[in-house]
Amino acid sequence: MANNIIDLKNISVSFDGEQILKNMNLRIEDKEFLTLLGPSGCGKTTTLRIIAGFLQPDSGDVIFDGKLINGVPAHKRQVNTIFQRYALFTHLNVFENIAFGLRIRKTPEKEIKTAVSEMLELVNLKGFETRDINSLSGGQQQRVAIARALVVKPRVLLLDEPLGALDLKLRKDMQNELKNIQQRLGITFIYVTHDQEEALSMSDKIVVMNNGEIQQIGTPIDIYNEPVNAFVADFIGESNIVDGIMREDFVVDFSGNTFKCLDKGFGKNEAVDVVVRPEDVDVVPYDEGMLKGTVTSVTFKGVHFEIIVDIGGFKWMIQSTDEQFVGDNIGLYIEPDAIHIMKKSEYSGLYGDFSSYSEEFDELSNADAEEEENE
Amino acid sequence: MNKSDTRLKRIMTAPFSVWMAIFVIVPIGLVLYYAFTSSEGGFTLENIASIWEYRGTYLISIELALVATVICLLMAYPLAYSISKMKARRQQTMVLLVMLPMWMNFLIRTYAWMTILEDTGLINTFIKFLLSLVGYEFEGFTMINTNGAIVLGMVYNFLPYMVLPIYTVLTKIDRSVIEAARDLGAGGMDVFTRVILPQSVPGIISGITMVFVPAVSTFVISKLLGGGMTYLIGDIIENYFLGNTGEVNYNVGAALSLVLMVLILISMGIMNHFDEDAETNGGGLF
Repeated sequence: MANNIIDLKNISVSFDGEQILKNMNLRIEDKEFLTLLGPSGCGKTTTLRIIAGFLQPDSGDVIFDGKLINGVPAHKRQVNTIFQRYALFTHLNVFENIAFGLRIRKTPEKEIKTAVSEMLELVNLKGFETRDINSLSGGQQQRVAIARALVVKPRVLLLDEPLGALDLKLRKDMQNELKNIQQRLGITFIYVTHDQEEALSMSDKIVVMNNGEIQQIGTPIDIYNEPVNAFVADFIGESNIVDGIMREDFVVDFSGNTFKCLDKGFGKNEAVDVVVRPEDVDVVPYDEGMLKGTVTSVTFKGVHFEIIVDIGGFKWMIQSTDEQFVGDNIGLYIEPDAIHIMKKSEYSGLYGDFSSYSEEFDELSNADAEEEENE
Repeated sequence: MNKSDTRLKRIMTAPFSVWMAIFVIVPIGLVLYYAFTSSEGGFTLENIASIWEYRGTYLISIELALVATVICLLMAYPLAYSISKMKARRQQTMVLLVMLPMWMNFLIRTYAWMTILEDTGLINTFIKFLLSLVGYEFEGFTMINTNGAIVLGMVYNFLPYMVLPIYTVLTKIDRSVIEAARDLGAGGMDVFTRVILPQSVPGIISGITMVFVPAVSTFVISKLLGGGMTYLIGDIIENYFLGNTGEVNYNVGAALSLVLMVLILISMGIMNHFDEDAETNGGGLF
């Protein structure tokens, strides 16, 4: 707790009567790469704008480095932002864009020159000084935006879905580059995204948000392996989520069978949500299966096959490198450490069944669930 | 682009092309013809040479138009800026109010100013009445038939042409660009001088062009509000074509028009030079 650079306390915000953030509390440590992850409308960008100073919370405190900064305007805060659509100054060239913050600070010309060329080197844009902003590609514009924000040496860099407009390949490269820059400069990055893969691969800590509330805070591995509720389990990666009953510590019943697991501390015969990741399920001969079902769909994904299996009317998704065929009866085997038990929550029953699964539909159903929550 | 595309474009633009040919190209040809011929029809440079006589008129026309343009700019920019900051619905109403005078006939509006500015007009009558209440006899200001009245007429009539392009450009400035400037440490003044003003240059340029060009060539405003005390180049040209004060002489009139046209082209060229850097930002009129 000692090294908190930003502390958000009981932050609430609403627009036009709709509550965007509900009594949010978040501590951000110095020098960490923290990601705010959630579907659109979950309040992650609003959180970022409150830290940047573009938005005042209706109630609650924003504390920066131990000092209350609620009323401090954006231009007096030691944080800088990378905007979603870059927001570069099109009337200035690359050099002047990066020099902007230094000119405001009345930095001597010589220092400006050195600082800008250092930044151009950092973002691999050497020799681009006099180029016109409109002549740059999306990736190059993003680099200019990064250099422009970093040149003023912020304590915290805020990134609002900075890679959203780039194509997949470039996005991967930029992910690595951003992570490198963050480690090299040793400053705090607060990164907003709805892309769970991006969040998992870059972050030290992930904050999963939905409907203006923090669902879970943890390392990428914790978030993936130990989701706290059905929303997190579904949003991060793919999950089979079924109803279960905790018989006693380390023993759970679901899908008509009894399984060993590694979870404890639930009440006797407590109703729970059981999460099993598709890649943790092994396909075995029908007779040897702990669960038995019929294959209803097989999709080749490159690394693996995505197999949908009907088990007593509930459809499971399994990822396997062995091909199966529609109509096959197969058995499934699940290791105890592949079973994750969660307490029942408001999200129970909303996610985790692949009955009408398609990737497109997955996106849609996420949105639907959100709307329901809003009503 | 394939062939049928080009053909379609040609068909679509045909009406306008024909219109331009008949009402722009041909008249310019006629102006050129008259400017370089004598009344007998032979080639001559005498018309052009005789224009030296009117150098004072050109100067005063340019001077008054410049003053009017500067006043328009100084009034329009703050107005356009504050409109662009209002809520969407309020903006629509304000733009409507700016354009409202343009719904009325130009001549009627200018006549209205005559009755306001006259020695026995609204303003003087009102002031006289007020002063008579305290027992003071006042002769009234001389407002009509002065250069000031002409500039007032120009500003009044052409102000919307300055407000609208500036307003349009200001509304197009990306909000996040302004936030980016604040984010980098710019306070209100820095945001304005370093981001908003430079990004609105295209609007300022089209505003200046749209006010200066009609102002420098007007003859109605100077005639009605200047009362023949100040002749602008537009008045002289009108006189040569209609013979209001002397003989009709198309040739000298055409030469005067030609020189005015060249002067306007030169000033627009200078303007566009300023605009070049900003051109890529889009902007411009409407």
